[in-house]
Amino acid sequence: MFEPKILGFCCNWCAYAGADLAGINRNQYSTNIRIIRVMCSGTIDPLYIMKAFQNGIDGVFIGGCHIGDCHYQDGNHRAKKRVAVVKRMLGYLGLDPRRVRLEWVSAAEGQKFAKVINDFVAEIKEIGPNPLSRKK
Amino acid sequence: MIKKVQKLAREYFQSGKVEIIYGLKKHNNKVVPSVFNKEDELKDLVISAKEPLLNICRPSKKNIIRLIEEKYPEAKIGMVVRGCDERILIELSKRKQIKLDNIELIGVACNKEDAIACNCPKPYPVHLDIGTKVDGVIEDKKNKELLNKKLSERLSFWQYQFSKCIKCYGCRNACPLCFCKDCAMEQQEWTKTGEIPPEIPMFHFIRFYHLADRCIDCGECEAACPVDIPLLTISKQIRNDIKDLFDYESGLDAEQESPLLTSLDEVPMKEGESK
Repeated sequence: MFEPKILGFCCNWCAYAGADLAGINRNQYSTNIRIIRVMCSGTIDPLYIMKAFQNGIDGVFIGGCHIGDCHYQDGNHRAKKRVAVVKRMLGYLGLDPRRVRLEWVSAAEGQKFAKVINDFVAEIKEIGPNPLSRKK
Repeated sequence: MIKKVQKLAREYFQSGKVEIIYGLKKHNNKVVPSVFNKEDELKDLVISAKEPLLNICRPSKKNIIRLIEEKYPEAKIGMVVRGCDERILIELSKRKQIKLDNIELIGVACNKEDAIACNCPKPYPVHLDIGTKVDGVIEDKKNKELLNKKLSERLSFWQYQFSKCIKCYGCRNACPLCFCKDCAMEQQEWTKTGEIPPEIPMFHFIRFYHLADRCIDCGECEAACPVDIPLLTISKQIRNDIKDLFDYESGLDAEQESPLLTSLDEVPMKEGESK
């Protein structure tokens, strides 16, 4: 059975607090994800995403505040734009764009966080392992 | 046509509009970029579609205009530009690398044969003085081929292409818009050093992403590549995507900010599926 490795970048103010709430509420979610806390989804350099794939990660999850709720006004606006460009670029390079997922999860949405992660893991399981890691 | 350019350049000199002119010059049967100080030097001025005019000079990593400004401070510079050169100037000015105030343009349009040879989508400058506008090459054969491939085929195609890379950094060095002092392609945080071929596709991804919103399709990277990696295929495709998503084209207007640096309220994004 293929167990994907998923890297999650969660913003300090919303998605990370959402993950915390999911834990407090005991909402079960898949253990395939490893979360890195960042201050804002806008800090995610597209090179982080590519580097993760290069090192054999099967999917990258980015969690941020809902549009309009960003602690830094418009950090998540930038994240949305960058991820859109990166997804297309991954497609041209031959990696499935669905391996990157950007979701808005607020600090009060523990249940949503668990659901989003479970969905994402199921999708990655369907897509299969990262072709870049297979060669090693 | 070259006579007309020389005549206009002479007029610029005589009217005191410019103190020096920067353009291409014939030198020992080669075409090289050069500064013209005097009117009678202008007989060597040529126009050519292929030879690059604007570069980032290494290892100082200063663009050529800054070097000219250092040598001739406060001088008014006249510049003979093709479509690509003008777009480069606009992008450099947008990113605060040069000031356009001291530059006087002489815009020259390329002819149809040159446009086809360069695979150029827009072979004329906005500020057009000499020549007539001809339509550029919009459809690219290599791009079509790439889009017709399945994901796994694209990956094996690029794995083959990038495995040829000898890491000469020619694509970056030839690029007129790769002006960063510290290049991520040299840092081992991003891509392993001391390895040939470099990490696939991380090494090339760095350039593709960093140039996503500024590439003006001049083709210098592909021309410089000694192992013929079709680098422009992805750059062109991303240029199209940025046009689709944000209605933005690089190299058109020095006042217009890149959409990747603004919020959704300033420049909205259209939803769209990737191809």
